[in-house]
Amino acid sequence: MNSLDPRVKRLPVIGQPGQIEPKAPLDQFGTFEVFVQPKEGKPFQHEGIVHAPNLEMAFVLAKEAFTRRFMCVSIYVVDTRHVYTSPMTEGNVSVFGFIHETPAQAGEKISYEIYQLIKRGKQHIHAGTVQAVSPQEAMSEAKKVFSTDNKVIYNLWAIRTSDIRFTKPEEQELWLTLPEKKFRDASAYKAGDKLTEFLDKQKN
Amino acid sequence: MYGGGNTFEGIKTDSLAQEDPIKLAEFEARIERGEKIEPTDWMPQLYRKQLIRMIEQHAHSEIIGALPEGTWITRAPGFKRKLSLMAKVQDEVGHGQLLYSAAETLGKSREEMINDLISGKSKYSNIFNYPAFTWADSCFISWLVDAGAIVNQLANAKGSYGPYCRALDRICAEESFHLKYGHHCVIYLATGTKKQREMFQEALNRWWAPMMHFFGPSDKISAHTEVLMKWKVKMSSNDDMRNQFLDMYVPKIWELGFTIPDPNLKKNTETGRWEYTEPDWEEFKRVINGDGPCNKERLEVRRIAEERGRWVREALKAPKATYVTPLA
Repeated sequence: MNSLDPRVKRLPVIGQPGQIEPKAPLDQFGTFEVFVQPKEGKPFQHEGIVHAPNLEMAFVLAKEAFTRRFMCVSIYVVDTRHVYTSPMTEGNVSVFGFIHETPAQAGEKISYEIYQLIKRGKQHIHAGTVQAVSPQEAMSEAKKVFSTDNKVIYNLWAIRTSDIRFTKPEEQELWLTLPEKKFRDASAYKAGDKLTEFLDKQKN
Repeated sequence: MYGGGNTFEGIKTDSLAQEDPIKLAEFEARIERGEKIEPTDWMPQLYRKQLIRMIEQHAHSEIIGALPEGTWITRAPGFKRKLSLMAKVQDEVGHGQLLYSAAETLGKSREEMINDLISGKSKYSNIFNYPAFTWADSCFISWLVDAGAIVNQLANAKGSYGPYCRALDRICAEESFHLKYGHHCVIYLATGTKKQREMFQEALNRWWAPMMHFFGPSDKISAHTEVLMKWKVKMSSNDDMRNQFLDMYVPKIWELGFTIPDPNLKKNTETGRWEYTEPDWEEFKRVINGDGPCNKERLEVRRIAEERGRWVREALKAPKATYVTPLA
């Protein structure tokens, strides 16, 4: 290809220029939701998604996409399909009004992570963990535990804890390199002195 | 951050006649109150369509925008510059990912968006159809194209669609590094040798016209966007953004002793607006429709990357995967 860029010049010609086979559905894989804990003791919050072929790759890509610069102590990922969601409300209508108590169900109780939307327009934030037999029961348990202080909650998510790919203790050091990456900070690019010196010289 | 000068289709507001008037009124009242619209909320078809178009164009601009600068990574002057430029280009590609995700919440899959980019159906920021001849061109992009994009993005971050605003907040926070890095590079050229100064002056001469095009056609000729302004999809007019950019950066360029290649450029002290030679909007149209110096190369590079990565994606594909729209 004719280009100023020697690397582009060296690219192999594949097929006919301009002719492409369209991507098939799921060519870019399914999506995984990414949650980040900004500081020790702070709750996890939803940050966004990554596309990945599996949970493990999603974890790696989430680290790349969401923790290049911002300090964080831990992240986790879960398949979007494994997040159970409540309806969304607005104004001063709390979502708890739409969640009904489920009759006691038989079966083993497992743990669910509960996320709540406290302010519309912001991220979902981790509220805590409940034990339940099903996602519906997890929502109803969440209502019992988290609806006590009359705060308006607009949306609830329930995620089976066992579906989550957490940061393992030995992976914690992944985030330790961040403070060394000064070249990613605006503060590493101070040229004020150089500029002042230049301007002074122009004046004289 | 690279979005800017989005092109909107001419809007037929009569399509609104088919919307439920009560829901439409509630929707508009919510925006009026300054609340965000979330993916599961009711929204008019026109809002959805225009937002997809805008966010998708923005995402494509990040991905294509990484190319003219990326070309200088291997030839950056020194290890520090190489490290910084690599980090910046990685950020831009990362921003593309964040924006594609935001657009996906509106119901267009990532595959469809990439198909539309490579086939030339979707647009991206016009400025990346110009080549980066020298290191100084890449410095111009890092400093001034990013600066222009920041003007646009800070405005859009106050828009009405929740996922887009959240992506932009993240993006804007990372941009402060790009801008400082770009300015740092230009100050080093400006205070360097005669040859270095000439190099930047030449880059400035090459990039000024595309930079003026960056914010999109003049308000006098651009498709009318009242309804998009009312719905807080478009937050500022093209001319207002251009004026804000000139206000912030022309003095900084002049301070370094460079000449901007427009003899008519001056600030009208009475109106507070900048006056300039009307950019060549015919060229803008020609380039955005495919006939710029690098349009073919940009898309071809994406196409080759797509083809060469195909076997990897196929090998990794999970047989049981199904697609669901991301949550927020």
